[in-house]
Amino acid sequence: MHIPDGFLSTPVWAALDVAAVPAVGYMARRAQRGFDDSRIPLLGVMGAFVFAAQMINFPVGIGTSGHLVGGALLACTLGPAAASVVMAAILGIQALVFQDGGVLALGANVINMAVMGVLAGYLPFHLWGEGAWRKSAIFAGGVLSVLVSGALACSELLISGVPIPGAALGLSLGLFAVSGALEGAITVAVVSALETIQPGFVRKPREGRSFALGTLALAGLLLATVGALFASAAPDGLEHLSERIGIASKARTLVSTPFADYQATFLNSRWGSQAVAGLAGLALVYAACLLGGRLLARLKRSA
Amino acid sequence: MHHIVLERWSRGASPLHRRDARAKMVALAVFLVALATAWRALPAFSLGIFAMLCGALLWARIPLGAALSRAAIVLPFTAVFAVISLATGDYQRGAAIVLKSYLSALAVLTVVATTPLPALLRGLERMGAPLFLLTVAQFLYRYLFVISEEAQHMRKAALARGSGRRMAARAVRFRAAAGALAVLFARSYGRAQEIHRAMLARGFSGHLHGLSTARFTAADAVFLAAATAAPLLLRLALEKAAA
Repeated sequence: MHIPDGFLSTPVWAALDVAAVPAVGYMARRAQRGFDDSRIPLLGVMGAFVFAAQMINFPVGIGTSGHLVGGALLACTLGPAAASVVMAAILGIQALVFQDGGVLALGANVINMAVMGVLAGYLPFHLWGEGAWRKSAIFAGGVLSVLVSGALACSELLISGVPIPGAALGLSLGLFAVSGALEGAITVAVVSALETIQPGFVRKPREGRSFALGTLALAGLLLATVGALFASAAPDGLEHLSERIGIASKARTLVSTPFADYQATFLNSRWGSQAVAGLAGLALVYAACLLGGRLLARLKRSA
Repeated sequence: MHHIVLERWSRGASPLHRRDARAKMVALAVFLVALATAWRALPAFSLGIFAMLCGALLWARIPLGAALSRAAIVLPFTAVFAVISLATGDYQRGAAIVLKSYLSALAVLTVVATTPLPALLRGLERMGAPLFLLTVAQFLYRYLFVISEEAQHMRKAALARGSGRRMAARAVRFRAAAGALAVLFARSYGRAQEIHRAMLARGFSGHLHGLSTARFTAADAVFLAAATAAPLLLRLALEKAAA
């Protein structure tokens, strides 16, 4: 499910990279709230735990086994913001050290798995984490975390114009559903085992309630559903659909305001202008992130 | 464990190893963007990029065959989509996906194999990435091997007790695996607290300091200029020839 480089089209990976930076920044700030620096080693070591947990196999069926993905489990134990930060760090290390997932596509993977996946995994626990529905809520969290990440990844690939025929799309969504059910079952089993070891490990669901996170989680769920519906409506790619409806030309001018179709017009020659435009875009994104970060830090200091 | 190989490669002493992490990362970004946005004359351009990366790997005295096969880790995932593209008759896209994903992975590997991860993260920090996230990533990497070995020990112990035998019902084995994971979780949690106490005892203030004081030298600037110009010039030349 980690998208490598070379799959997403430039507008898609660039937009998701831009979206991922403030999202992770916000999560990091929330995770640091009531700052206690013992959280830093804790989050790092729990990230290492998620890596190591993939070595423990769970028997599924005849000869096959699965393993934990971890988003929902971390959200129930460390809280959604900290879980997001840990997952983002895991994805970064995977992209750099293990070549699992691309570096330019890191933003997409972070949005899919570390932000939306974790929040969708936390939402049922947050709402029904107490009382009779507790186990079902934890199970649903595991299912949703995998399903949402998978659906988002699929729709991003489709928007990028990677052709996924209807049969393959159905198959992959089915696979996501099966691995989601497995993730839910593992999460429930581990959480109940943890509670017998030490009840304090699992959070109270109402702790640190946040309107913003809830909204974001709902938005993620909605986005994934819409993406899946859209994908099933246009199995041969979004471009095809937009051509059919006839919004292609309009959409193009809408997307291309700063750099017309990623070709800087001031370089009238056709060759190479794309690369220059892409690099200029990257530099702009970097500058914007840097400035935004500085500004946030200054606001925080003065507040 | 297999990624210890990468750790050994990154501690080499070639001119490429000595370059500043920032220079290498900016060059990497230029490579990746040039590759990701390339469309015209892609085969020739990828051949050129491939030659450059191989040259860099040889210059850094990293075993070429091992590096090339390590980057092939992306191919199974890519192959699925490439086959679909071929089946729908879109040869160009299928080939582009394979070329771009493999070469991007190779480019990342070239940088990571010549830069120790702490130096890389410090470089990112100097370029303005959020410190909290980087420190978490640093800890994650440091304890990755420790916790993974613990998981392996637990697996070996469980096998020795007969968990691999098919005698127990699946539900029982499932619950046993969940119990093992819960124990691993609790141990990791406890270890994190011990680590933190030990670090406090040594005066940890929430920030990890490195011993090396990396400076951006003239050699780094020259390297950066050459490494960013090479892919761009190659692409300009090829696309001009194709147009």
